[in-house]
Amino acid sequence: MIGSYTRLLDGLQETGLSSLYPDRFRISVGMATCGLATGAMGVFQRLKEELDRTGFDAVLSRTGCLGFCQREPVVDLYVPGGPRLTYVEMTPEKAAGFIDVLSRGGIPVEDLLCVHQSETLLGDTVREYGTKGMDQLSGVPLYTEVPFFSKQSKIALRNCGIIDPVSIEEYVARSGYRALHDVLLEKTPEELIREVKESGLRGRGGGGFPTGLKWEYTRRTEADERYIVCNADEGDPGAYMDRSVLEGDPHSVIEGMILGGFAMGASTGFVYVRTEYPLAIQRMEEAIAQAGKNGFLGDDIFGSGFSFDIEIRQGSGAFVCGEETSLMHSIEGVSPEPRNRPPFPSESGLWEKPTNINNVETWANIPAIIQKGSGWFSSIGTGKSKGTKVFSLVGTVRNTGLVEVPMGITLREIIFDIGGGIPEDREFKAVQTGGPSGGCIPASLLDLPVDYERLAEAGSIMGSGGMVVMDQSSCVVDIARYFLEFTNDESCGKCTSCRDGSELMLEILTRITRGNGKSEDIDFLEELGVAITDASQCGLGQTLANPVLSTIRYFREEYEAHIERAVCPAHACKALVTYRVDAGRCTGCTLCARNCPSGAVRGKLKEAHTIDQGNCTKCGLCFDVCNFNAIVVE
Amino acid sequence: MTELKKKEKIGTPDTADRQSGAVMVVGGGIAGIQSSLDLADSGFKVYLLERTPAIGGTMAQLDKTFPTNDCAMCVISPKLVGSGRHLNIDLITNAELMGIEGDAGNFTVKVKRHPRYVDSEKCTGCGACVQNCPVSRIIYAVELDEVELERKDLDIVMPLLEDSAGTRGSLMPVLQAIDRHYGYLPKDVIRFISGKLDVSISEIYNIATFYNSFSLVPKGRHRISICMGTTCYVKGAEKIMQKLCRDLGTEPGGTTEDLRFSVEAARCIGCCSLAPAIMVNDRVYGRVKLSDLSGILKEYE
Ligand SMILES: Cc1cc2nc3c(=O)[nH]c(=O)nc-3n(C[C@H](O)[C@H](O)[C@H](O)COP(=O)(O)O)c2cc1C
Ligand code: FES
Repeated sequence: MIGSYTRLLDGLQETGLSSLYPDRFRISVGMATCGLATGAMGVFQRLKEELDRTGFDAVLSRTGCLGFCQREPVVDLYVPGGPRLTYVEMTPEKAAGFIDVLSRGGIPVEDLLCVHQSETLLGDTVREYGTKGMDQLSGVPLYTEVPFFSKQSKIALRNCGIIDPVSIEEYVARSGYRALHDVLLEKTPEELIREVKESGLRGRGGGGFPTGLKWEYTRRTEADERYIVCNADEGDPGAYMDRSVLEGDPHSVIEGMILGGFAMGASTGFVYVRTEYPLAIQRMEEAIAQAGKNGFLGDDIFGSGFSFDIEIRQGSGAFVCGEETSLMHSIEGVSPEPRNRPPFPSESGLWEKPTNINNVETWANIPAIIQKGSGWFSSIGTGKSKGTKVFSLVGTVRNTGLVEVPMGITLREIIFDIGGGIPEDREFKAVQTGGPSGGCIPASLLDLPVDYERLAEAGSIMGSGGMVVMDQSSCVVDIARYFLEFTNDESCGKCTSCRDGSELMLEILTRITRGNGKSEDIDFLEELGVAITDASQCGLGQTLANPVLSTIRYFREEYEAHIERAVCPAHACKALVTYRVDAGRCTGCTLCARNCPSGAVRGKLKEAHTIDQGNCTKCGLCFDVCNFNAIVVE
Repeated sequence: MTELKKKEKIGTPDTADRQSGAVMVVGGGIAGIQSSLDLADSGFKVYLLERTPAIGGTMAQLDKTFPTNDCAMCVISPKLVGSGRHLNIDLITNAELMGIEGDAGNFTVKVKRHPRYVDSEKCTGCGACVQNCPVSRIIYAVELDEVELERKDLDIVMPLLEDSAGTRGSLMPVLQAIDRHYGYLPKDVIRFISGKLDVSISEIYNIATFYNSFSLVPKGRHRISICMGTTCYVKGAEKIMQKLCRDLGTEPGGTTEDLRFSVEAARCIGCCSLAPAIMVNDRVYGRVKLSDLSGILKEYE
């Protein structure tokens, strides 16, 4: 019996390997949301048409996101007997030329980012590529030499951008479902939990609670039924790693969940995905169906007697539903307000049964840990923060995208080495981490090693891994106001401290950004922040003051400038800036006058325009549309 | 609508000749309050019945009283408090008299008490719910309890209900399916499923208004979500919102008159690396420039 399951996996692996490394060219297009948003669909279709037209013999497939979203659409080319090549910024027109070069026996070199000479998986080399065609590629950097990739080490994102997300064969070809097979046949749930505990893995959803410990609590609670949940509600604006994992490698999450189900004795798992991620939902559905078809989900998995199933539930756009108690209420279909803990979900969760909730990235780490062992995992990272973390490096930074780095790397390395620094050589001002529960970290702390403890000491949090980089044109007071507007809107209203406290903070911050701040405002904000933190029930209220407190801590003089001199140093607060036309530059093209929504721009064709300050609503449209930099903001 | 039929028994019916020690006062205005207080003080048990949700009547709305120019509130408020606290007075508000039987000295009355949707034991009357009610425009409590759906709606809704039968916590998936189908949550459909799933309407509205993506009013054929997440905000999403709303002649959260587009602010559509991003139906556009907008709109009819 046991042999037959090994044979099943071997069979899948063989099919997977031959589709990953066929004896023909293989062209794969990155078709996650970020790729699609930049036109990957057009590229894919054009490639297909051209292949049909030229009759060139190549496999065309789709894959997830490689992480380098700045330069999407990304296309990979596997040369039989040769290397794998990554091309960036493809367009349908370029795709036609691409096939043209191939069909004439060449290898395209335009828009070629890098060459992969070998394929790695969790730090091991799993395939050495041949040298065919390398003579045409001299001077092209290797994958490991591209600054964006060189400092990364991929665990959660190990398959993203490499395999076809909904090909179970290709997932198995990259050692997928082996961990599950070995555990179900050889290990006890207790051994599995011990392994996870020893790995030092901590929750990637924000709280950073040790995963193994949470599993143990859930297992320990006596019950006839237990549930596990995958939290894919990814509410932090600026973070999108969960979406990328679900879209690029759904099977890793499924395998992690089955392992979790086995460890905790649960027979049902729920994946709670936010409705804003339609593609992730679709890929997850397909992957679950495939896993079921192959017997990895359902009754008596691998003949071990263990049965497990996964259901998908959708959120409907409420930030607080990412909070675990609120999320469980939402799955139950009752009013999704958070509740007090204890009882913790591990004691009484869904339908009052013990329930374990983990984040997508946490689940995706599990199979890798089992496969390579807890010792390997815990050798990566810092004292209390083990392994790697995926960050979404976004905002005003040259290379935006998803980066997975070992814990303990410094912010400077992430932003300047991997991210390439701030575009147009403007000055770095702050990086916002942890979303609405996090804070802004200033330039003076750029050498801070990134792990759970250090970030908390700096007044921010790891959160789910959003890193929004800001340059001098962003106003931190305005950012604090923005987050309070967010939390004020998303507060469920159950706790007075959170509901009314956020309202009051928002009011004060709005006043300050309008230049009407009072001298006592800063002290009051600090006092209020502490009170809200102490008095609120769930994480939303307990952390909503962080953006304000951290910006006051590091940028107090900017608050003072707004309050005492009614000046916004970043020229970002609308009420404190004026728009003016530089008559020397204005060519009188009338573009700004035609775009002004309030008719404040006056002037005749070919004559310098003026802005009527009385009517100007400071929307900034004139500034954006002007082709001659003739609009000045002061 | 849940109807609470309550039979208030006054006196004991089996001893018709024995007079009861209880009185019912109908109408909680100043006259009713004063009579109740006098009766209660002289030892009778008083049931003070009032049709509106609170006693006080017209006098509570007046500034001064004729002819003495006394302050109305100063006169009535001690009496309001007094009748509320009097051990001999039972206030039955938001209720109507349906019928009286019996003879002088021993009546049996039938009272219909209207639902309050608030636990009056716990309510402190702070008024916060009135201010914060997201569905204040929608007053369902006074409408009929049963709804009939048209054939075409039944054809849509019944299969959804059947699909979800047996799944735990089926309300959310059902609402999502309805929202997807109609583009919003039609009133009658909500009332219909309330009966079928045995979940009260107020509970459904609580849930429907909690989540941002449900709408209670019809939406346009194409939903445009403009990301207002941190990254997009930093990268100028507000201007996109302004321009789009101006071009379409609507406002954030609004729908164009021809029902072609709805415009809403989204929280982050997970395309932060390509900020600013917008989403039309299920399609995401990254690095949107103001000049791209009209081209994007043209793709949708
Ligand atoms: C307001 C609020 C929002 C949250 N949003 C998310 C979220 O979007 N995704 C997530 O995984 N966890 C979120 N969490 C954390 C969860 O409550 C929970 O800690 C987490 O899912 C546990 O998984 P982990 O141990 O794998 O991190 C949120 C918490 C709070 C208080
Ligand atoms: S912040 Fe706009 S897509 Fe994430």
